[in-house]
Amino acid sequence: MRLQSSIWRAWVDTLKNIAADKGVLLLIAIAPVIYGGFYPWPYAQETVTRVPVAVVDLDHSNLSRQITRFADASPRIEVRMVIGDERLAQQALWRGEIEGYAVLPRDLKRQVLRGSTAVVTVKANGSYALLNKAVLSGFAEAIGTVSAGVEIKKLQVSGQSAQQAQAGRHPIGTQMVALFNPTEGYGSYVVPAVALLIIQQTLLMGVGMLVGLWAETGQHRADAATWMGRILGFSSVGYLSGLFYFGLVFWIHDFPRGANMTGALVLLAVYIPAICTLGALLGVWFGNRERALQVLLFTALPMAFLSGFSWPAEALPELLQALRWLFPSTAGIQAALRLNQMGAPLVDVAGYLIVLAALTASAGGLLLQVARPGKG
Amino acid sequence: MKLIQVFATSARREVVWLKHSYWDLAIISWVPLLVVAVLWWTFSAGLPGRLPIGVMDQDHSASSRQLIRFLQASPGLLVMPHYNHTAEVTQALRRAEVYAVVSIPPDFARSLKQGRAVQVTLLHNAQLGTHSSLVQRDVRSAVATLSAGIERAARNKRGEPALASHVSLEPLRSSLVTLFNPALNYEQFLAAALIPALLHILAMTAGAWAVGREIRDRTVADWLGTRAGYASTAAALLGKLLWPLLGLATVGTLAMLWLTIGRDWYPAGSLTWILLALWTFLALSLAMGALASSVTLSLRTALSATGFITAPAFAFSGVGFPLQSMPLLAQAWAGVLPYTHYIRLQMEQLQMAAPLAYSTPVLVALASSAVFLAALSVPLLNRCAGQPNAWGSR
Repeated sequence: MRLQSSIWRAWVDTLKNIAADKGVLLLIAIAPVIYGGFYPWPYAQETVTRVPVAVVDLDHSNLSRQITRFADASPRIEVRMVIGDERLAQQALWRGEIEGYAVLPRDLKRQVLRGSTAVVTVKANGSYALLNKAVLSGFAEAIGTVSAGVEIKKLQVSGQSAQQAQAGRHPIGTQMVALFNPTEGYGSYVVPAVALLIIQQTLLMGVGMLVGLWAETGQHRADAATWMGRILGFSSVGYLSGLFYFGLVFWIHDFPRGANMTGALVLLAVYIPAICTLGALLGVWFGNRERALQVLLFTALPMAFLSGFSWPAEALPELLQALRWLFPSTAGIQAALRLNQMGAPLVDVAGYLIVLAALTASAGGLLLQVARPGKG
Repeated sequence: MKLIQVFATSARREVVWLKHSYWDLAIISWVPLLVVAVLWWTFSAGLPGRLPIGVMDQDHSASSRQLIRFLQASPGLLVMPHYNHTAEVTQALRRAEVYAVVSIPPDFARSLKQGRAVQVTLLHNAQLGTHSSLVQRDVRSAVATLSAGIERAARNKRGEPALASHVSLEPLRSSLVTLFNPALNYEQFLAAALIPALLHILAMTAGAWAVGREIRDRTVADWLGTRAGYASTAAALLGKLLWPLLGLATVGTLAMLWLTIGRDWYPAGSLTWILLALWTFLALSLAMGALASSVTLSLRTALSATGFITAPAFAFSGVGFPLQSMPLLAQAWAGVLPYTHYIRLQMEQLQMAAPLAYSTPVLVALASSAVFLAALSVPLLNRCAGQPNAWGSR
């Protein structure tokens, strides 16, 4: 009974403390809401369309003009300039006015009429992966369409069907089926994973800040029941921001979501306490209110790329493959994508939940050691 | 006092502090070095290899086995045990045990023999964008290799000369060239972009901390004096920011040299120019932090602002998702962020081989912004030094 009442008291006290501290409140309650709108913002359009390109037309024939028209009709690219000198295109590329160009060679039409293959070289800016892809495929599709048109005319003369010709040239085709993120949107790919990181970072810094403040004057020292109540207090607020992302943010932006909502709720119940416990431990270690911000602000960047959602974990050196599980975000992101987006049953993510529980247990054990009452 | 003396006194005062404050020294010296090293190490593979994919062979023919051998031969793919049922495929994809499954249809070999076109289906996990696009690329090229071989064999059987047949069928062909980074090496692309983004966060944090700490600890007057002039406060500010600049920019320099010369990559542009821009960019980041603390007079608020400005800077920079595809207002916000401009300059010089003339305006803009922001914080600091009741906010 006494145990329950001290957990309850610590829980209420922690919530009061959070509400009374502008800085902590801003970090763990308001920042998640702001980032929920701010972070997905650049990706609102999801796909890359109308990338500016140039056509270097050295042929000046009706065929070269046709290719230019078809390229301009592609949703991926937009022909901003038609020029007669490749050097001008190169300069426009450096100025950032275009991201790629196609060179239509002199004799383009003559070669085609003669029955030999004319080669159109397409060059794209490889420094930007998505622009590069849009330019190359936009031009390739346009050229392929024009080529097929010429071909059909010829085949009709020689009595072959277009299908036969296609089968003869490309006996095996590959049909791509995009699962879980059917539009292959960029925001749909990045935000559901980064959401977990935003939840972690805001909570980690907020908890670290408040516990760091307590540690300045030694009032952080407490027994296990009190610490449990405190962690529950922090977790209650953290759980709400988790719900805010999994429910509202994913829904507003129409990201793939809710494939296994019960599973996601269970995940949050394991993920959030792991973060809060770790945050409390860091706060005690820092022993200073502002230190958590100073030391943790930059950590989101390496954690994101170690979590394995954007950079394949298979490519990480072995040591990093092991160390990355120390951040709750690694297991959190992996489990959340499987539950929210891929619709895996809870048992498929059990391993990640165990990692999170183990983090909570070890950080909690350590916390009770370094912050037990009456020492020092 | 001469300005140089004010500068030196302020710098010495900071040294004394740094010697006694473990974290404050760590966060501008070995911590950045360690984290930069981790970032590089993360991408050191350059291109991920051996991504696990599954195969569902419904044909079990010599041709389908040949396709599987082609997939196995691709260095980017690791072909896992085969699946016989759709349920197994679904489960493996949902668990992300494999990032894609290649499904070979039952009439694969027969269709090929009869000269009909046949489709292989690749189910890929598009939720994992990088994984799925790498797998798509490798599977597509393995299939194309097999397809080309079959086409050649068929043509030989018909007794057609290779060249003529090719020509008569394809009037136009596109030859696709990726300029500057043809292998799409992520070490050169992402690590090189992320390291300055990381130092940017650390530098603004350090600027905010160096100035904000004096306000929090009520030591502004000890640092600046209560009746300091404009020039003398400016000198004291520079003396204080000298150490984080030296620490972080040295780490940045080492990182850029390691990524390029250290890894046998000789960028087409000017490495010197990149380093010059990096130092200027970090000086600007420090000035941003100093201004944040001078305006808010609260270390905590300044650090929160630092997080808001610098942490998402990479997402807004156009390196991942292109600037031109962002909403207009987001583009405007990206245009205000200095990282967007710095990273464009770095791309121009590191990869795009742009003549220096293209990269000059950005360097000038970075430098003048740094001077401007530092100059803005000076009068604010002077006012703060004379108002003890504005100190100590947390």
